[in-house]
Amino acid sequence: MKPLIEVRNLGIAYGRPGSWTSVVQGVSFDFARGEAFGLVGESGCGKSTVAYRLLGYGTVNSLAQTGEVLFDGVDLLKLDARSLARLRGNRIALVPQNPTTSLSPGMRVGAQIREMITTHRALPAGMTMERRLAELFTLVGLPDVGHRYPHELSGGQQQRVTIAMAVSCNPDLLVLDEPTTGLDVTTQRQIIQLLQSLRSSIGMAMLYVTHDLALLSQIADRVGVMYAGQLVEIAPCDALLSAPVHPYSRGLIASIPTIDGASSGRGLRGMLRRDQIPSGCKFEPRCDFAKADCKGTPQTLEPVGKERAVACMRWKDIEPAAAELTRAARSPQPDTEVGAVLSVEDLALSYQSPSVLRTFLGKADSIVARDISFELKPGEVVALVGESGSGKSTIARAISGRLQPRSGGIHLDGNALAPVLRRRSVEQLRQIQYIFQNPDASLNPRRRIRSILERPLRHFGIKSDGETLETVLESVGLHAGYLNRFPEQLSGGERQRIAIARALLVNPKLLICDEILSALDVSVQSRIVELLQSLKKQHSVAMLFISHDLAVVQQLADKVAVLYRGELLQMADTATLLESPLHPYTQILLEAAPGLRKDQYVSRSPATPGETSTGGQGCPLAGRCHRQIGKICAESRPPVRSTETGFIRCHIPGSQLVRGNELAAA
Amino acid sequence: MSILRLLASRILLSALTLLIVSVLIFLILEALPGDIATRILGRDATAKALEVLRSQLHLDQPPLTRYFHWLGNLLHGDFGASLATGRPIADVLGPRIVNTLLLSLFAFALYLVLALVPAIIQATNRGKAVDNVISVITLVLLSLPDFLLATILLFLFAVAIPILPALATVSENSTWPEMLRAMILPATTLAIMMAVYAIRVLRDSLIEVLRSDYVRLAELKGLRPAAVLWRHALPNALVPALNVTALNLGFLIGGVVIVERVFSYPGFGTLLIDALQLRDIPLIKATVMISAAVYVAANLVADICAVLLQPRLRTR
Repeated sequence: MKPLIEVRNLGIAYGRPGSWTSVVQGVSFDFARGEAFGLVGESGCGKSTVAYRLLGYGTVNSLAQTGEVLFDGVDLLKLDARSLARLRGNRIALVPQNPTTSLSPGMRVGAQIREMITTHRALPAGMTMERRLAELFTLVGLPDVGHRYPHELSGGQQQRVTIAMAVSCNPDLLVLDEPTTGLDVTTQRQIIQLLQSLRSSIGMAMLYVTHDLALLSQIADRVGVMYAGQLVEIAPCDALLSAPVHPYSRGLIASIPTIDGASSGRGLRGMLRRDQIPSGCKFEPRCDFAKADCKGTPQTLEPVGKERAVACMRWKDIEPAAAELTRAARSPQPDTEVGAVLSVEDLALSYQSPSVLRTFLGKADSIVARDISFELKPGEVVALVGESGSGKSTIARAISGRLQPRSGGIHLDGNALAPVLRRRSVEQLRQIQYIFQNPDASLNPRRRIRSILERPLRHFGIKSDGETLETVLESVGLHAGYLNRFPEQLSGGERQRIAIARALLVNPKLLICDEILSALDVSVQSRIVELLQSLKKQHSVAMLFISHDLAVVQQLADKVAVLYRGELLQMADTATLLESPLHPYTQILLEAAPGLRKDQYVSRSPATPGETSTGGQGCPLAGRCHRQIGKICAESRPPVRSTETGFIRCHIPGSQLVRGNELAAA
Repeated sequence: MSILRLLASRILLSALTLLIVSVLIFLILEALPGDIATRILGRDATAKALEVLRSQLHLDQPPLTRYFHWLGNLLHGDFGASLATGRPIADVLGPRIVNTLLLSLFAFALYLVLALVPAIIQATNRGKAVDNVISVITLVLLSLPDFLLATILLFLFAVAIPILPALATVSENSTWPEMLRAMILPATTLAIMMAVYAIRVLRDSLIEVLRSDYVRLAELKGLRPAAVLWRHALPNALVPALNVTALNLGFLIGGVVIVERVFSYPGFGTLLIDALQLRDIPLIKATVMISAAVYVAANLVADICAVLLQPRLRTR
C-alpha cells in the first residue's frame, strides 16, 4: 500500500541566517493510512520538531535544510501558506500537548470547533452545525459542553475537546504531541482508550509523539526511537518493547519503572548534552557497548530483519537484551518499636477560614481534606498517591506549616507542631525539609550553586568547613565543579539533585518530596530514584513521597497511602497494596497504570453512577465506584477497618473485598 | 463572582474615590492663602461690603458646612457661579465640555488606529527592519514633550506646508467641516502622545500571545491569518493595553490643557488654565472634579472591558 506520509532525509536547524545549528539530521520514515506510528525519545531529541513538520509547521527560527515530507505525494515543505492552510485542520489535524494553554481562553469551546468546520466547509451534507457539534461531543464522550469556556472544564475534558476538534473535519492524519502528558493516570488511560476507538471507527493515520513508551505500547503499530536528532531504531511496537536492538532503545526501555517491579537490564546513564556529542555515533558517550571506532563512525539506519531498522554498527555483537525479572531489592522494614518521626492525626484542611457569616448564610465550608491520620518512622518512606486535586500537596503544605489546619494535630518526634510556620522553632523548621516539583522554579536563577547551598547552613547556624558542600554534592552524585555554576547551566535532573542536596545539608528528619520526578525525563527519573534509595539507607531520613506514578512508588516506598478527594481510602505496605489492592479505588488506580504490554484496558463503569455523595457525608468514591453496594455508600461514612499492614475505608467487608480481588485477577 | 456584582462593587469604589477627591480639592483650595472676598472686591473695599459678599458666598459659615453645601449642590448638578464673571459655571462649562469631548473623541479614534496598526505590524514582523524603525520612531516621540510635538506639527502643517489652520478657533457658528479641519492638528498631537505608550505595551503583549499555544493551534487548524489575529490573538493581547489606555485617558485630560492652549482651541483645558490664573475657585473646583470623574470612569470602563475579554475573571 502506498504510504500516506513519507518523510525522506529530513534535516532541520534552529538559529538564524548565517548561524544555523542542526538539530535533526537524516530522518526518514513512512506510514500508511490507518496506521499509528510513534516517535519516542528524551526531551530535546527533536521528536516534536519532526512531528510539527508533518503539519508543514516550523517556528520562525527553524529551517528545514534537507529532505522532503510527502503527504499523499505532495511535499509539505514546499507548499505555500495558502495551500498549507487548506490542508491543516482539514486533512492533517493536531492534538496539542497542553490543552489548557492550547484552547483560546476567551472563546467558548463550541465556537472554537465551529470556526474550524466553517473554515474548511466540512459540515456533512444535510446536517446542521448544532447536530454536528453534539455528535462530536458524544464521540469523545463529553456531555454538550459547547457553551462552556475552556477554564470551566477539567484537563481531561479539555483534551477531549481538542480531540473532538481535531477529528471534526475527518482528517486523514492526526498528529498527537504528547497528548496525555499533563493528565492523571486514570484520565490518561481514558484518553488512550478514546483514541483507540476513534482509530478503529474513523480509520485515520496517527503520528504519536511521546516520551512515554508505556502509553505508546497501548496504541502504536510501529515506533521510531529518536536520539539527538536522529532515528536510531524503527521497529514494530511489540518487537521494540520485548527485544530492543539499539543500545539507546534498550536503556530507554530499561529506565521505565514498572508496577510489577520487573526491570530489564541497566537504565540509561548520563544525559543528552549537545556540547558533548561526537562526530560519529552520537550515543557513544553514554553507550555501554561502545568501542574505540564508534566515536568517529557516523551511524545510519540499516534494515535488520523484517520491518526493522537500526543505526548501530555493533548491533549484532550485542547479545539480545535479557529480560530478567528481578524484584527490586527492598530495604529491611523499619523497626516498629521506634517512635514515629511524624504523626498526623485527624487532620482536616480547607482553604477558607471558618467564619460566622458563612455558617449564618448556610454555606458549607469547602473542606479539601478530612480525617487524615498516618505516621512516619525514621528511615521510612510513605507514598501519598492519588489523582490531581485529591489533596496530596495540600496535606504536604499543612505539614510544612504553610496552611493552617482546620482541626487535628501534627506531631514531630512526639512534640506538637505549631499550625503556622512562624510559631515553629528554628529547630523544628530544620527538621522538616521540602523538595518541590519544579527545580527550575525552586532554585534562585541569579545565585551560584555555592550560595544556594550555603544559605540554609547560615540560616540554621550550622558550622561547615570547606568540605561540607563537596560532601553533600558527592552524596547526590555531583562534583565540586558545580559549586560555581548557575542553575541555568545545569540540566533538569542536576537541578533536582541540587534541590535534594540543599534539603539534605541541614540533616533533616523528614523530607517532603512533592512530585519531584514528574518534571523529569524517564532516564533522569530512574537515576534520581536510585539516589533517593541510597539516601534512605545512609541517612535514615523519613520521606513523605507525593506522587501519581505508582511504578516509582513501587520502587521507593515502604507504605502507600491512597488519597481520593481529600480522604485516605487505604493505607498498606507497598507490596501488599500492589499485590492485592482490596479497595475499589486502589484497583482503579492500579489498572490505569500502563504496563509495557498491550492490555486491552477498559475503564470500569460505576455500579450506580447516579448515587454520588456530598463532601463529608458518604464515601467520596460513591458514583464512581464499580463495586458500590447501594444507597449506604452515598449516605453514610464508610467505616475504617484495620488490615494487616494498614487500614481500609470501605463499606464492603474485608472478606468480600478479598474475594472481589480474586475475581478481578481471574 | 457574577459580572453584576463585580460591576456594582466597582461602581461603589469609583464613587468612593470621587468622594475622597472632592474632600482633597476642598481642603487644598481652603488652605490657599488670601481672602476670596478681598480678591473679588479689591483692597479698597469697605469692611461692610466685604461682609455682605462673604455672607452671599456663605464664606462666614464653618468649612464643614460649606463643604457639604458644595457637595450637595454638586450632586444636583449645580456647580455654583464663577467668581470672575458671575455667570453660572454650568453655562460656562457646557459648550467648552462639548468642544473638548469632540476633540477627545476624534483623538481617541485616531489613537486606536495609531496604536493598533503599528503594534500589529511590529509584532508580526518581529526583529525585522520595520519593527526596529517603528521602535525608534516611538522612542523619539515618547521623549518629546507634548507642547513641543504640538509646535512641530503646527510648524510643519500650518507654516511650512500651509494646508491646515494654525489656530483652531471654533465657535457655535462653525460648520462641521470647519470644526473637523480645525481639530485635525490638536487631535493628532493628542493621539500620537497617547499611542506611543500603547504601541510598546501592545507590541510586547501581542508578541507574547502570538507565541502562545492557542495561537499556534489556531494556525494549525487552518484558519486564515486574519482570523487567527483578530479572533484569537488580539482579544487576548488587548488586556494589558487596556490599562495603559485608561491611564492614557488621564493623560488626555492633562494633554488637552496644553494642546488646546497651543492651538487656542476653546475647550475645557483653556478654561481650566483661565480659572487657575484668575483664581476662580468655584470654577477650579468644578473643572478638577470633572477631570477626576472622567479619569475614574475611564478606569471603570477599562476594568469592565478586561472582564469581558477574559471570561476566566467572571467566575473567579
